[in-house]
Amino acid sequence: MLDPGSPVRRHYEDLAKNLLSIGEGVKSVVVTSPEPGAGCTSVCLGLGAALAGMGSRAAVVDCNLGNPQLHRMLGEPNFVGLTSSLRGDRTLEHYGHEIVPGLLVVPAGPVPSDPALLETRRFVEVVRGLEAGRDAVILDAPVAGSVLRSSSLSSSFDGVLLVVHASRTPKSVARATTDDLLDAEINLLGVVLNGSSGVRL
Amino acid sequence: MRSISRRGWQRERRDDLPLSEILHVLWGRRLLIVGIVVLLVLLALLFGLFRGPEYTAEATVSVEPRDRSINGEERVGFMEEVQGAVVTQAWLRGVMRRAGWEGDPREFKDRLDFETVPQGDKTGLRVRFSGTGPEQAVRAANAYAELFVARVEKLNDDRLAGGALAADAVVESRAVSPEGSSLRLLLYAVAAAAAGVLAGGAGALLLEGRARSWRDARDAELTLRAPVLGVIPDYSSVGEED
Repeated sequence: MLDPGSPVRRHYEDLAKNLLSIGEGVKSVVVTSPEPGAGCTSVCLGLGAALAGMGSRAAVVDCNLGNPQLHRMLGEPNFVGLTSSLRGDRTLEHYGHEIVPGLLVVPAGPVPSDPALLETRRFVEVVRGLEAGRDAVILDAPVAGSVLRSSSLSSSFDGVLLVVHASRTPKSVARATTDDLLDAEINLLGVVLNGSSGVRL
Repeated sequence: MRSISRRGWQRERRDDLPLSEILHVLWGRRLLIVGIVVLLVLLALLFGLFRGPEYTAEATVSVEPRDRSINGEERVGFMEEVQGAVVTQAWLRGVMRRAGWEGDPREFKDRLDFETVPQGDKTGLRVRFSGTGPEQAVRAANAYAELFVARVEKLNDDRLAGGALAADAVVESRAVSPEGSSLRLLLYAVAAAAAGVLAGGAGALLLEGRARSWRDARDAELTLRAPVLGVIPDYSSVGEED
């Protein structure tokens, strides 16, 4: 999906265009799913690559401290990343690297024993710092239940993108999650249907 | 959230199921519904055919007590007393003879059905007979009604119970040729089809709630009532994650 010639790229470009068309204010997006296995990380990477391919400066940050996936998907180590920045005083840019021109990826970093790191003020500050130098910051978040419990993920950024998988996510669970997000006054930007067999590559 | 305001769809009521979503679900599972309808219709037709043709004829006898002080609910009790006095084994054998019934007397009784119905100042006795042929059903219902009237007149002459049960009885309506079994089969089929639509629809909604497969973006939009910003096809080059 990082390859501009990939047949799946145009679908991510459509997603990026739709996201950008929502409004100028959408800069930081929390990407979550009702259950694990919906493909949040691949959607984050695909969306980031599409934005970068369209000329935007994008960043993907792995915020799933309980089960980080970004580095695994890229086949890279997870020695430093978001948690390193939260514990230190350096910016997220310092712990990330560009995998394609215009797309910065920041892995989760060493998994902390205390996952409440995301609830600190520092977390919002480092993401804000990243936003200052980027057109879009995509936060690869844990499942929606964790996002709902996290005051920073649920209320500190511009909106939430919900990923449902076409063959793995139960409809009833997805519906309940959508209702929960809206009941919690979270700005749900929209839904991404991942793994659809009804769309041709 | 920071600066983005909530859009219209986010403020919509979400606790009720809109017709558009129900229709979408039903259309998506139309094969299931059609299958259930076809199955139930076939079962109903088989049931109707194996049950054999049956015709029900109906005649009504009105009975008016000569004692004008009997009114209201007392008339029902009066009617039952008259019926008890009229219907005897010997009388019933006479009805069977007139009806041309040559089968088992118990079966004849099983095929008879009575209902007491108020008719203004009078009380009516509705007699139904279900036969294997229309003529048989008509003959039996009319034989019962006619002999009932004759028997009441006879009892009047005999001053039954000292005249306490004296009544005037007439055949209010005679049985006519009943509707055919083809109409009954049609009714069975229509009822089965309606039941099939209901059962299939309920099953479709139930299955949809438990389903894990999403057909397309429209399916997701209707189910979640949220805009679908992107549809990513299934591609095998990226492995399992999350």
